[in-house]
Amino acid sequence: MSVQANKPLFIWRHLNKLRWLVMSLVFFMLILLPMLHVYQTYVSAHAYDLLSPSEQNFYDFMETITAPFVSDPENELDAIKGTTWSGTFFGLKLSDPLAAAGQVAASLKFYWPFVLTALIPVAFTLVFGRFFCGWLCPATFLYELNTTLGVWLRKAGLRTGNRRLDPRLKYIVLVLGLLLSAASGSIVLAAVYPPAVVGREIYYAIALGGFGVGAVFFVVTLLFDLLVARRGFCRYLCPGGALYSLLGRFRPIRIKRIVENCNDCAKCNAVCEFGLDPLRDNFGMECNNCSACIAVCPTDAMTFVVRMQDFPYQGPGHLGRHYRRQQGKKQTIDDSDEKA
Amino acid sequence: MQRRTFIKAMGVGAATALAPAAVKSARFRPSLRYLRPPGALAEEEFLSRCIRCGQCGEACPNRCIKYFSTENGVASLDTPYIIPREKACILCMKCGEVCPTDAIAAIPREAGAIISGVKMGMARVDKKICLSYQGKTCGVCYRACPLPDVAIRVGMLEQPHVSQACVGCGLCERSCIQIPQAIRIIPNRKGA
Repeated sequence: MSVQANKPLFIWRHLNKLRWLVMSLVFFMLILLPMLHVYQTYVSAHAYDLLSPSEQNFYDFMETITAPFVSDPENELDAIKGTTWSGTFFGLKLSDPLAAAGQVAASLKFYWPFVLTALIPVAFTLVFGRFFCGWLCPATFLYELNTTLGVWLRKAGLRTGNRRLDPRLKYIVLVLGLLLSAASGSIVLAAVYPPAVVGREIYYAIALGGFGVGAVFFVVTLLFDLLVARRGFCRYLCPGGALYSLLGRFRPIRIKRIVENCNDCAKCNAVCEFGLDPLRDNFGMECNNCSACIAVCPTDAMTFVVRMQDFPYQGPGHLGRHYRRQQGKKQTIDDSDEKA
Repeated sequence: MQRRTFIKAMGVGAATALAPAAVKSARFRPSLRYLRPPGALAEEEFLSRCIRCGQCGEACPNRCIKYFSTENGVASLDTPYIIPREKACILCMKCGEVCPTDAIAAIPREAGAIISGVKMGMARVDKKICLSYQGKTCGVCYRACPLPDVAIRVGMLEQPHVSQACVGCGLCERSCIQIPQAIRIIPNRKGA
């Protein structure tokens, strides 16, 4: 009765830890890169003695951590530059697909050398879906910490937002953003897209002496998430999330529920940060393959699968009460294991 | 309920209709004298090409590239600019190399390419302030110029004469020992 059919590959339930590692690494790089830039400017000035004591301390610290890796910091620390909005990775220029879309809208022309820098991210999104949102986005890093803060506040007795809005709102934001970019001739989306804002603001804070307007915007989105809806910006307002969801609609790599192992506990629904419905096989185009549902499932009923579409609803989990009651009705005798 | 929705819809409609005009008109504020990085496209095209990624400032070893907040209008938000009197451009040409959209064109770091390709602005001497025009020999701007005798040549008492070859890097303005500076860059918005 409780034979575990189709056990998922053991590694999938540990992916969530890898995901946090990758996101932390990306966020850490967004802090390290501006620091490296400042260090490089000090090196190219060749005027160590003219630095203030705090600047000299900073120089010494950066020299200590980079000396084992490079002998010429002025020219050899350029392997990784930029942010997740647009950057250089070992000579390869990579850009956010929303940047390409927004720039084309703003100029009403295809500047191919730039549009093609978004090709690899688009290709990955077509295969893995909205994976940027779950695995790379620096705003997600902060928003998930914000969700945890919300949990603590709720435990302390404060009310946090729990509304359900329409996820289709963000598609309207995307379209309006592109239209406004076209009408004004400026890529306005860059100012309201959290990962671009976070990357830029961290650079401003470290290299230019302080946060800018974007930091205020981002704090407002954090408050929106706390007071209105959990992960509200990502789920209902993010234009980038909208674009990735559209690209990832027919992703071949997706999560599925192994109905034979499922006991209807709904922990997957509880943990899903995007408010999706894995219990009813309803992942949809908004699933970012974060694998939190796989990690939390107590009966190994979640796994990755290669399929262009979600499974249609498979019915109640075979280890759960509803299924067993159904099966019990089909058997006319022997309800001995129906004591639940 | 119907009236409220109607008024709300009117408000949203008005905001959407006026928004592009508001963004466009907020763009050009003549009181702000700033330069775009060397090799930047003409202002209108620059604004439509720049994706506000911040890599040009990250590449600048001289730390002269700063980024607008809202002081130059919403359209210029997070775009790079240089104030030569604060920190002039040393024409290392690294910003053009890293710009992913070529809003800043990649110009090689050679005198010929720079003179023909870079047009951030043109230096202009204020003879009422310039010491050399007051009978005192100065010549500091000439010595600061990266293209001496090409962009600036000096006459009697080291009086500077700016030629058409000036690229507008602003090193002269940064170095001028007068307060306010006697030589300043008049920005060029038609393709730096």
